[in-house]
Amino acid sequence: MKYYLLFLVFGLVSLNVCSQTTISGTVRQQNGGSLPGVSIYLQGTYDGVSSDTSGCFSFKTSKTGKFVVMVTFIGYEPFAKEIELTGAPVELAVELKETFNQLTAVTITAGTFAAGDRKQANILTPLDMITTAGAEGDVYGALQTLPGTTTNGESGKLFVKGGDSEESKTFIDGSLVYAPYSSAAPNMSVRGRFNPFMFKGTIFSTGGYSAEYGQALSSVLLLNTNDMPTEEQLDLSFMSVGLGVAGTKLWKTGAATATLSYNNLAPYMWVVPQNYHWVRYPENTEGAFSLRQKTGKAGMFKLYSSYGNSRYTIGQEDLNQERKSYDYALSNDNYFLNASWKSNLGQKWTIASAASFTNNKDDVGYDTISFNKLLRGAHVKNVFSHQFSDRIKLRFGAEFFTKTYSQKYLTSVNSIINDYTNNTVSGFAEAELYASAKFVTRLGTRVEYSDYLHRANLVPRISAAFKVTKSSQFSLAYGWFYQDPSDDYLLYTDKLDYERADHYTLSYQTSQNDRTFRAEIYYKDYKGLAKLNDDAFYLPASYSNTGDGYATGLDVFWRDKKTIKNGDYWVSYSYIDTKRDYRDYPIEAIPGFASKHNFAAVYKHWFGGIRSYFSANLKYSSPRVYNNPNSEIFNGEHTKPYRSVDVSWSFLYRQNIIIYAAVTNIFGFEQGYGYSFASSKNSDGVYRSSPIIPGADRFFLVACFITLTRKGEANQIDKIE
Amino acid sequence: MKKIILSIAILLTALTGMSQSKEFATAMGEALSQYANCKTIDDFQALGNRFSLIANAEKTEWLPFYYHAHCYIIMSFIEPADSVKKDSYLDIAEQSITKMIELAPKESEVYALQSLLYSARLIVNPMERGQEYSALSAQSVGTALGMDANNPRAKFIKLQNDMGTAQFFGKDPKEYCPQASELLANWDNYKVKSPLYPSWGKNQVAEIVAGCK
Repeated sequence: MKYYLLFLVFGLVSLNVCSQTTISGTVRQQNGGSLPGVSIYLQGTYDGVSSDTSGCFSFKTSKTGKFVVMVTFIGYEPFAKEIELTGAPVELAVELKETFNQLTAVTITAGTFAAGDRKQANILTPLDMITTAGAEGDVYGALQTLPGTTTNGESGKLFVKGGDSEESKTFIDGSLVYAPYSSAAPNMSVRGRFNPFMFKGTIFSTGGYSAEYGQALSSVLLLNTNDMPTEEQLDLSFMSVGLGVAGTKLWKTGAATATLSYNNLAPYMWVVPQNYHWVRYPENTEGAFSLRQKTGKAGMFKLYSSYGNSRYTIGQEDLNQERKSYDYALSNDNYFLNASWKSNLGQKWTIASAASFTNNKDDVGYDTISFNKLLRGAHVKNVFSHQFSDRIKLRFGAEFFTKTYSQKYLTSVNSIINDYTNNTVSGFAEAELYASAKFVTRLGTRVEYSDYLHRANLVPRISAAFKVTKSSQFSLAYGWFYQDPSDDYLLYTDKLDYERADHYTLSYQTSQNDRTFRAEIYYKDYKGLAKLNDDAFYLPASYSNTGDGYATGLDVFWRDKKTIKNGDYWVSYSYIDTKRDYRDYPIEAIPGFASKHNFAAVYKHWFGGIRSYFSANLKYSSPRVYNNPNSEIFNGEHTKPYRSVDVSWSFLYRQNIIIYAAVTNIFGFEQGYGYSFASSKNSDGVYRSSPIIPGADRFFLVACFITLTRKGEANQIDKIE
Repeated sequence: MKKIILSIAILLTALTGMSQSKEFATAMGEALSQYANCKTIDDFQALGNRFSLIANAEKTEWLPFYYHAHCYIIMSFIEPADSVKKDSYLDIAEQSITKMIELAPKESEVYALQSLLYSARLIVNPMERGQEYSALSAQSVGTALGMDANNPRAKFIKLQNDMGTAQFFGKDPKEYCPQASELLANWDNYKVKSPLYPSWGKNQVAEIVAGCK
């Protein structure tokens, strides 16, 4: 009995050891060569091996019965096959299919420059946005080194691919920023309101953008703010133009940051001579608050709120009266609120909601006239996204915009008030279909209805991209883009229709070994542009949608992060050919904001020995046109070409102290942005004029940024003291 | 008779149970011994695959995930130039580290390895990632030391981070030499919880001490 039991026990044990099955074979790609380093194993067991350099494998197992052979490798769909282990050898010829990897799959890049996550298609990084922003810390300044843009020094706004600055819109975390630029007197440059350090991702779309966005004939700028800060800190900024302080507090599931800044250019302008006659130097006060709160497992709620006031008074020549100048006093109050929430709903759905509110007021006094402009707007939006499978994604959403714009003129004799309110409701749906990792299509449609215009529009937006080789791809985009006519026109009439632009874009991009080349050609067909046909701007009948135009061009971009050690540069060139008949143009003509040739080069270098980061931008735009009313030819005169070399130097003095110096237009190239003319002829029958020039040839900035944290080395704090 | 059947049943379950954890111990031990033979990226990838296999077979053990991530982090250090490849190896390591933290949230070694991952991410692009990842690496190693103030690997990673920072700011990293010598002298005093637990690092500290002289 004992022996029988012993035999039973040993027999059972030995059953596991005696019969061995050999499993062998080869692994190859679906349409290609062998795959080494692939893992082949029996599911749930330790028996397995990696394939060799020829893709061959062989291993033995003592298991018997039904088992599943698993073959897995990164970048490929796993292979599973049930086999019966009986001792007889098993031969497998395995073919693995490439899986879908979001990071390396083809992405639609037509008309898009993205800075942010590590997708292969992204050409810029968040640090690029910060370091190219130049001395003014202006996001829009950084964008003007990219192809498709023209720098208009007297404006400072974005002019994209032959389009006016109103044709570009800015969105932060999905919601519209009604007043993205600071306010300025006529022919004085503005800058963006937002600090480039706030953003972790930027998508600058110069045409053919998604159905999710509308009301921009030329481009949209999508800015995504940073997620959670990593530590509690106090940031102090000391600059030649002002001071700033920001404090960040962190808790387990969220963070809050409060910022306060005060800028006054008086000391700076007292030292550096200016071309303008300042009566009251520019002064700006701003406070902001931001909140991050994680919700649930994967949700994030973000809130940003800011209030700022800017003011200055400048003396400007009155061209309509000899030897007279008046003071132009401007005070701007801007309140901005923006909130967003993103979360997952189950495995395959995500929801993103966004809302914004803007209240932007300009109070202007010049001569005996007092004038104020109020822009109040709100935007609410909700987008759902559903991932049907790895390859099919559907996004759809709805949004509501409301905007009130009012202008008030008060002279000593009368007061004129004009305002209008427009509510727009829109919806969109868009499907992204990956036929393979090499070919993707995006089909979308958007519908809008405006209650002020009593009009609706419906548009298609189609784009596609296909990879020709592992590192290069073609991308194309086609769509219709509608936009409400300018606020200045809608104040006086509600009988206008939407303006429209149809975009055709084809782009080629190749990226290898930290070098990227990109070329893009496009055609924009403008229809229904709003026109003012008469001097009587206050009569609705003076306006019509009979304007039209076209813009076509070629953009070329080359970036090389590799050739020069510790150096990184990019070069961009745009050729723009455009003509339009819009606003008060008497005929179709080249518009004043476009230049034919636009060139920019950006170079950055890291000097490790002195812990310094040096950056230089070179910008050139060929002469633009402007109109001289003394001439028969409309828009027949040319400005000077725009040339500027801006440099900046950042020195990491300590781990938490950065010293920064920057100069805009270091060589002092003389800029000439044309002339402004009197509105009526003088006694000699001539329209008087004065040149439009920048406030100063050069702009200098010196700053010191200090970050204090509680964690980290105790001796950090010692060293500051 | 019942007693005999019962004892057979117990013996059989003990045998199979033992063979499972025995199989785990054997497979782990065999794989760990392979470390000495690994030199190239392909070697470490094959070894990493072995650990991944063990991890999938066991599902509740954090140790195979640890070594799988460790292999892929080493691969990112060996990879000479291609930053896209480096990041892709670190992505795989990061997946294993996430699973590891779920399985063993109170284990000091887990956070020490996470801190090594963050340092590896920083090295891929120090200009862009310096600020973010040095803070994250410091936080993780702080957590690791908080759970086990004597963990020599956590101490080593902190030492390496500190010396790297000092060097970057033009300060003499040699001021950390006494710490390195002390760490090396006390290395063997630390008792690992099992022969399968991570025990690497002594050679690296010895190299630092040699560089100090």
